[in-house]
Amino acid sequence: MDLGGVLEATILQFIGFNACYYAIAAIGLNVQFGYAGLLNFGQAAFMAAGAYGVGQTAMVFGISLWWGVLIGVGYSVLLGLLMGIPTLRLRADYLAIVTIAAAEIVRLVVRSVWARDAFGGTDGLKGFANTYQEVGQKLGLQSAGEYGFWIFTFSGRSLWNLIVGWTLVAFFGTIVWLLMRSPWGRVLKAIREDEDAVRSLGKNVFSYKMQALILGGVIGSFAGMLLAVGNANVQPDNFSRDLTFFVLTGLVLGGVAKVTGSIVGPMLFWAIYAFLDNLLRELIDRPVRIGDFTIIQSTDIGAVVFMVMGTMLVLLMVYRPQGLFGNRKEMAFDGR
Amino acid sequence: MSERAGGSYMVAAQPATDGPVQRRARRFAQLLAGLMVALIGLLGASATSSADEFAIRALVKEQRRTDTGKTDNQPVAGVGVVVLDASGAEVGRGVTDAKGAAVIPVPAKADYTIRVDESTLPSGAELSGPAEQQVTADSFTVSTKTVSFFIGESQREETSGVDRVAQRIADGIRLGLIIAMCSVGLSLIFGTTGLTNFAHGEMVTFGALVAYFLNDAGLHIVVAAPIAVLAGGLLGFAADRFGFSRFRARGVGLISQMVITLGLSIAAKNFFLWRFGGRDRPYLNYTNQVGVKIGPVTITPRDLIVTVLALIVLVVVAMTLQYTRLGKATRAVSDNADLASSTGIDSGKIIRIIWIAAGALAALGGIFRGLDEQVAWDMGTSLLFLMFAGITLGGLGSAYGALVGGFVVGLLVETSTLLGVPTELKVVPALFILILILLVRPQGILGRSQRVG
Repeated sequence: MDLGGVLEATILQFIGFNACYYAIAAIGLNVQFGYAGLLNFGQAAFMAAGAYGVGQTAMVFGISLWWGVLIGVGYSVLLGLLMGIPTLRLRADYLAIVTIAAAEIVRLVVRSVWARDAFGGTDGLKGFANTYQEVGQKLGLQSAGEYGFWIFTFSGRSLWNLIVGWTLVAFFGTIVWLLMRSPWGRVLKAIREDEDAVRSLGKNVFSYKMQALILGGVIGSFAGMLLAVGNANVQPDNFSRDLTFFVLTGLVLGGVAKVTGSIVGPMLFWAIYAFLDNLLRELIDRPVRIGDFTIIQSTDIGAVVFMVMGTMLVLLMVYRPQGLFGNRKEMAFDGR
Repeated sequence: MSERAGGSYMVAAQPATDGPVQRRARRFAQLLAGLMVALIGLLGASATSSADEFAIRALVKEQRRTDTGKTDNQPVAGVGVVVLDASGAEVGRGVTDAKGAAVIPVPAKADYTIRVDESTLPSGAELSGPAEQQVTADSFTVSTKTVSFFIGESQREETSGVDRVAQRIADGIRLGLIIAMCSVGLSLIFGTTGLTNFAHGEMVTFGALVAYFLNDAGLHIVVAAPIAVLAGGLLGFAADRFGFSRFRARGVGLISQMVITLGLSIAAKNFFLWRFGGRDRPYLNYTNQVGVKIGPVTITPRDLIVTVLALIVLVVVAMTLQYTRLGKATRAVSDNADLASSTGIDSGKIIRIIWIAAGALAALGGIFRGLDEQVAWDMGTSLLFLMFAGITLGGLGSAYGALVGGFVVGLLVETSTLLGVPTELKVVPALFILILILLVRPQGILGRSQRVG
């Protein structure tokens, strides 16, 4: 068994591109869920908003890629308003239901034949990321070249993705950290703990919640944009419900209401995923059977790994709801 | 939320041998492990199927020309497909699902004949090619060979508009009854404990899958269904006894509990994918029925019986809630748990019963859905959104609201295509209604008109 290979894959996923865009999405989700207590279960829709914003530039509008950032942000603000206006005055769980439903609407519409001219149907959108890769090449990273040392050897293209990605993580992490130390952030945390108390101090709770929802959504849309330019395509099925849940698992793993938690959590999520996946693939090179009954075979591994990840989320919430870095008191809020 | 009367004794009654945290952790882990083993035993008992088997996937589609001149293929559901081997003996048969696909497992790569049962085509529709197609052993490049049948430029438009409306309404009633059945439990759990259970869809799938595996092991579906409903009730019991009643007693926040249900949903869904596989499969009985014409509506006897049974079950549920002591107590706890407790109602016990009923009803809904369409590992998740739309429309926490709301949503989904909504987007109007209702009347149609915010 190649345990070295398993560990190598684990380490690479810990700092990899997946961890990177998950971290950005989790920083955004943390603003909503961790600091403001808003149950946004539709972060995937915000990510899709960003991804389709940049994706549409070439094939639909025929404009420069950089306008796509504006379009993506515009889409996610619209989405935030659509989700927030009906629900933010109501109890927390209404937002959960609406966000999860809105994310499903977004996914169904972008992959539909009906809207294929705008979103490319199930084929998605391509051919918009050249400008992004050219910037990397101008900085001296050849797409075909090899860079790095030891196991950390990347192609120029993936290294460029990682540099841009982790820069964005650092940028948004710092912004959120600074914001949450500001008076604005303290009001947000106070809303999470006791909305009525904040209201009695004359603050416009609805407006603060809306700002948090939109800020978190816009940060989430940058995760989608990164995913789009990094893969050089936009696929509707990348933005399934499960994406939100996995980002949430990563966030809870790291610890809510902590910027470090929202960054390290998704990294750990992907490290654990890669470890389990590679380990099982090493162990199960042929189907394991008792008599005629197949217990597990290599095609089952994906499902089994995600089953374990789901169970991990349950156990975390039961035994360590504060995750690695969080504070238990900050996870004690109650939607009612 | 205050501790429930029925929940707190469980912690207090423990002997103090080691720390309460470790003890609870150990017990919870044991229970989880036990539950997993039981589930694997239950679901795995007959799961001999695996992904390296071969199958033929027949696709039936209707070719249409859109206004812009593009062809637009719409899947056709409910068409019977038979696979014959080289000697003409039947290998298997299936009925196309909502994606127009029928997957029929075959024993090996060999020559087969695939025949569409033309009597099951929608009325007025004809195949544009032959009703039989051959595949050869060489044409299996992957384990599943896809064969497509096309229905030509539809003549269905010639059938009167009234007939089409009636047909869609009949389909909508059936879907509405199934959604109503699945969502009563979801709504009552919310009403009594405040918990939004995102794993409720998996309880629906669970029922359908247990029935499928029993059916596959040789039990007739009429026998398998009640056992699966029982298993669903047990699952509901286990979820409350070993999970949520403890979380309530420990004071785990509602939001944490909600995230727990998300985790359970991911875990259960992937467990189903592992044991059942990604293919949609029908129950073995009542697969290939010919529709009967009742007035303007063509319906198979199976679907008719499903509709009638679902209606009976829902009436029984409504009567139980309205007239029995248990039903009254349930509504009282749902209305105001603390007040109900103070009048001597054991709210912990009522909540336990609600979980059991919710599991059983969800399982039955899943079986009906499986009969109506096909069994799939993610069938419950796709219903979950419609259930949410239904209970929000009817009023979160209200049992009658869930019945009415679920029914309206099902009807809306099926009839929305009449108003020009593309088939692939037919659930979108229902989800929009959900958002609109929250904007205009957040307490829903039948909800209490008190403060909700």
